[in-house]
Amino acid sequence: MNRNVDELFVYPKQWMDEESRSVAALVRQWADREIISKRMEYRENYAALFPEKRKKLCLDIGLQRLTLPVEHGGFGWSGIANTPGILTILCEIGRADAAVAAIAAVKYAILATISLDHNRDRKLCETLAPLYAGDDLRTPALILPGAGMSGQESPLFRGRALLAGVHSVKGGYAVSGTNLRPLFGGHLADLFCVVCEGGKEGPCIAFVPGDAAGVERGPQILTTGLNACVNADVTFHDVLIPKENVIKGDAAVEELYVWLNLLLGGVSTGAGTNFFEILSDWSETRVIKGRTMLKENPLCASVLADVAEEIALAKLLLYDLAELITRPEEWSNGNHKRVFTYASMIGSRVQQSVTRAINRGLELMGSAGYAKEWHAEKHWRDVKTIGSILCGVAAEAPVKMDTARFFYNCTEI
Amino acid sequence: MKHFDEFSRPEEYISPFDRHFRHVIRTYLEKEVVPYRRKYDEDWKGHLLIEPAFDKLMGELGLQKSLFPQEHGGWGLANSDYVFRVAYMLCEELGRADTGMAVALAVTFWPLLVIMVEPHVNDRLIKEFAPMFCNTKKAVFAANAMTEPQGGSDIENMGLLGGRTIRTSARLDGDEWVINGHKLWPTNSGGVSRLFGVPCTTKAGSNDTNDFAFIYVPADLPGVTQGGAYEKAGMAADKNGDIWFEDVRVPSWYRAHGPGKDADAFYQLIPFGQVASCAFLTGAMLNLYERLYEFVSTRTYNNRPLKENDAIAAIIGRIAGDIDICRILGHEAAMIGDRRNKPYGRPLTSEDVVGRVRNIKDFVSDRAVDCFGKGMDILGHYGADRDWDIEKHWRDIKMVQLWMGGKQLCQMEAARYFFNCETL
Repeated sequence: MNRNVDELFVYPKQWMDEESRSVAALVRQWADREIISKRMEYRENYAALFPEKRKKLCLDIGLQRLTLPVEHGGFGWSGIANTPGILTILCEIGRADAAVAAIAAVKYAILATISLDHNRDRKLCETLAPLYAGDDLRTPALILPGAGMSGQESPLFRGRALLAGVHSVKGGYAVSGTNLRPLFGGHLADLFCVVCEGGKEGPCIAFVPGDAAGVERGPQILTTGLNACVNADVTFHDVLIPKENVIKGDAAVEELYVWLNLLLGGVSTGAGTNFFEILSDWSETRVIKGRTMLKENPLCASVLADVAEEIALAKLLLYDLAELITRPEEWSNGNHKRVFTYASMIGSRVQQSVTRAINRGLELMGSAGYAKEWHAEKHWRDVKTIGSILCGVAAEAPVKMDTARFFYNCTEI
Repeated sequence: MKHFDEFSRPEEYISPFDRHFRHVIRTYLEKEVVPYRRKYDEDWKGHLLIEPAFDKLMGELGLQKSLFPQEHGGWGLANSDYVFRVAYMLCEELGRADTGMAVALAVTFWPLLVIMVEPHVNDRLIKEFAPMFCNTKKAVFAANAMTEPQGGSDIENMGLLGGRTIRTSARLDGDEWVINGHKLWPTNSGGVSRLFGVPCTTKAGSNDTNDFAFIYVPADLPGVTQGGAYEKAGMAADKNGDIWFEDVRVPSWYRAHGPGKDADAFYQLIPFGQVASCAFLTGAMLNLYERLYEFVSTRTYNNRPLKENDAIAAIIGRIAGDIDICRILGHEAAMIGDRRNKPYGRPLTSEDVVGRVRNIKDFVSDRAVDCFGKGMDILGHYGADRDWDIEKHWRDIKMVQLWMGGKQLCQMEAARYFFNCETL
């Protein structure tokens, strides 16, 4: 494609400082040189190249420590003012490979709960930062509440079942839970961030090292997309963790969801942007009825427009959410429920929009879109996987309930 | 409702073949296909798992001979009054198990229909090809080699283009046709088929249907080259690839019917393909219901089974409602085909049949894509999980929406028929 996607899919660039733009440009370069220009090679040797490309991005370029505070060896994007920058980075990585980006999104979301200027947990930062500021590639996995099992009364976080629990033991906490499903990366994870039932203080977030005694992983799970982020169910047999590895309270869990909605939205929008590029190239090389260039046919043009519209609007919504997170005093008057609700609504809408965009585009591309050769179908599978996983259970229903609770003060749903 | 079989279908449309045959097919598929289908994706290239299943279904059970007349060892279904409805039943059962397998089997019938369905019957060619399919216990595949690199699905847009964009040529040399051209994406290519039906032109650039030819080409002839199977998002049981014809010579009588009639007989394939597509989709949707039923009954939100929550019930209720409506529509599409010889019916090549059947297929495809997408979201963390089967169907059925000209051609055919559009 001979046009710059930045000029097509606009967002308020004044929200990004010079440094953010430079880092984003660096990631764009990585995406274009390492993956997008070598799609075929990358696809055919995916298992081997996936960690290699991640290393280049996370260690050589240094994105692994991007959001860690400077005093903990990080790059220092640990203020909420960096939110639009972090979102842009995720969009850029997602444009290359949603699997690489999804792991990065989870990592930043997890770190955001402990390392931002306003919520910094110094002890946890001291424990985790050396790992994420070090020279080894790190892969965290996130376990969120989801579907409960019939016949079992589960503790809840906004209707979603908390299937893991922590209880106090001498010297810290014990984490337990059976066959828990991480969002992705459960097989690879060196750290599990688990939303648990925490007793009287409500839900909590527990940080469980992947190599701790009592962590048992199930077999690898085959999934629609993101298969490089190899997943596995995890069982915690009373895994002992230090006291400082637990953050308690609704607000921390809500903040985790806020970041996840934003950043996974960025991943999908990035993938959608590259799908747009692929579709755009394709539509300029195909004719229908023997003579009309496909994009010049009014019906095909309207489908192409649908694709662009969904991606453009998704991107704008996401940057609005980033701005909302960046300036809580202006947007939400410090009301974290409001931020949580907006993040849920926008996160859900963005995933639906990008999924629809790719679905529509595939309708035009026909068999070409379905063949792995064109690389469009990977974006389709990856984005759908993210969307389904992010909603947790029951499609849009939980987000609708969250929204109704906020706007209508519902108390029994 | 106690069973997925209770989804609506017009009982008066059901063929006498249905009850027994459906039971046999379903029993076979539940034993030989369903337990293994989660491994089919990794078997896309070698078909080590898939091929034995096809041998049993097509060879041993004998489905591949079902269209051929009884005097040639077949079951004589091609000219029965209920060929569309039997095909619907078969394809629905196959689709419930694996739509890739369903299309590979159904497309084997496709080129054969050109010479077997009244009023376009070619006894000499039937007799010629019957032994290939009827005298073996091994699966034998055929393919319709339609799509070309430059024109996508233009070939299927016969009503408007009359074959003008076809570049694969047929030249008569003595008593042989000499065929040259490049086809891509046919179901059952990639080295699978033993016989190709090849739409081609006897005069490049002509939109005169007299210049359209449908010629049979055995795959083992000199000059036929097949590329390897494409790697795809799904549909692993269906191999697709490139086929090149370089000065391939076949007897002159391998042409289906001759000038004018070839185009007419070929165009009959559109309703057959669209009805089969509807059946693949509704079959897969029945399985969606089965798998979803289990999930929403055993998993909870707010500590109540998902299906007992009003908001979630609204979503799954819509899914089930769509399945019900789509199944009725699919049977109606099949019945439109089977009315072809009735005084109140229309020929398969009429705008009426093509417009209506394409319209139904477009509608059912849209609903299926939507229902499977929603189904995955209902499962949430488990939606993308191979073990729940829904994601496999989600990948597979997207292809059903895309093929045969995809959504846009369906929309255009419907507009042409319902609004008498003349230039689309």
